[in-house]
Amino acid sequence: MRALIAAATGLVLAFALVLTVTAMGSPMGKTSPKPLLTTVPAHP
Amino acid sequence: MRRRASLILLALAVFFTALSPLLRWYAFPRLAKIPANQYQDMVLEAKNATLLDYGTMQAKTVPKVTIVQTLKGNVEAAKKIDKTAGRDVVVWDGLSYVQGPDGKMVSSIPERYIFDAHTQDPVHATGEMVDGDPVKRDGIEFKWPFLTQKRDYEYFDAQTRTTNPIHYKGTQNFRGVKVYYFEQTIPWTKVPFPKTMPVKGITPESVAKTGTTRWYTTVRKFWVEPVTGAPVYGEELHKEELRGGTLLGGRDKVTAFAGDVKMREDYIKHTVALVKSNRTLVLLMVSYLPWGFLTLGLLLLALSLYLEARSRRPGDPAPTEVQEPEPVTA
Repeated sequence: MRALIAAATGLVLAFALVLTVTAMGSPMGKTSPKPLLTTVPAHP
Repeated sequence: MRRRASLILLALAVFFTALSPLLRWYAFPRLAKIPANQYQDMVLEAKNATLLDYGTMQAKTVPKVTIVQTLKGNVEAAKKIDKTAGRDVVVWDGLSYVQGPDGKMVSSIPERYIFDAHTQDPVHATGEMVDGDPVKRDGIEFKWPFLTQKRDYEYFDAQTRTTNPIHYKGTQNFRGVKVYYFEQTIPWTKVPFPKTMPVKGITPESVAKTGTTRWYTTVRKFWVEPVTGAPVYGEELHKEELRGGTLLGGRDKVTAFAGDVKMREDYIKHTVALVKSNRTLVLLMVSYLPWGFLTLGLLLLALSLYLEARSRRPGDPAPTEVQEPEPVTA
């Protein structure tokens, strides 16, 4: 019984971690202030 | 004590074993995406190209024509479309600026490309356009999906405003990177004149009145790193002609542009380095971490079973019971 509880705990923690991380996502940030280029850049 | 340790190890074993498929098949498709605020530029060159001189209407060979391509993620537009589309989208505002050997503009074509941030599938929304003309893309453009497959894809051609297959032609090694080679041929097709013409006073409408039409063909080649889906190199055998009408002074056709357009060397090096770095990040999620967690989980499970077995070993001396002294009766 104790082994079953330990296994279930591990499983729940794995799901909780993955669901939390994916739900958080990543911020979209802001549009770059750099312009669309009409000159040839010297380097990347 | 051993029993407790084996239970903790069992919990950890299940945790890491479960994490392995969850990371690969649940988290990765949701976390891997093109950032909405990405900004990137690219310089391509066509050396010894043929270019039309609009002053004399004669085609001539020039040492170099340069194409500057910029893609800028429009976060505000992406947020608006996110709400209606119900998924993460990326809005790329792009500009293909072509410059002649004298530094003067040859053409300047803006476009807006809207696509799913995770799958790179096109998303249709107001504002999707090429050179101001509304378009509907039915395929990818600029970038392939993560974990690109060895198959043909539908690729959007901005000149013809049509989507056509781009064929997988084999696996190659490009500067130490394993890449999939794709090729698409667009046959001679009548295409619209750019809204911004290289000579002041000439507009697409004024050219249309002369009866002259613009035709285009290209062989598009991409070397795509399959894990990231990012092209590390690209080439185009690009030809444009003006045909018929009074503008050509009795000639049937004249070459407007012909050249082998290739990425500039410094941009190739930069792109290869960037793709190698991003490749490691994607591999971390689809391979390194899932396999590492699975291995760790199995090792912890083995250790847990070992400790459990030792705690139950029959050869071990049984714990001595403390016997209470029996009462002595006289």
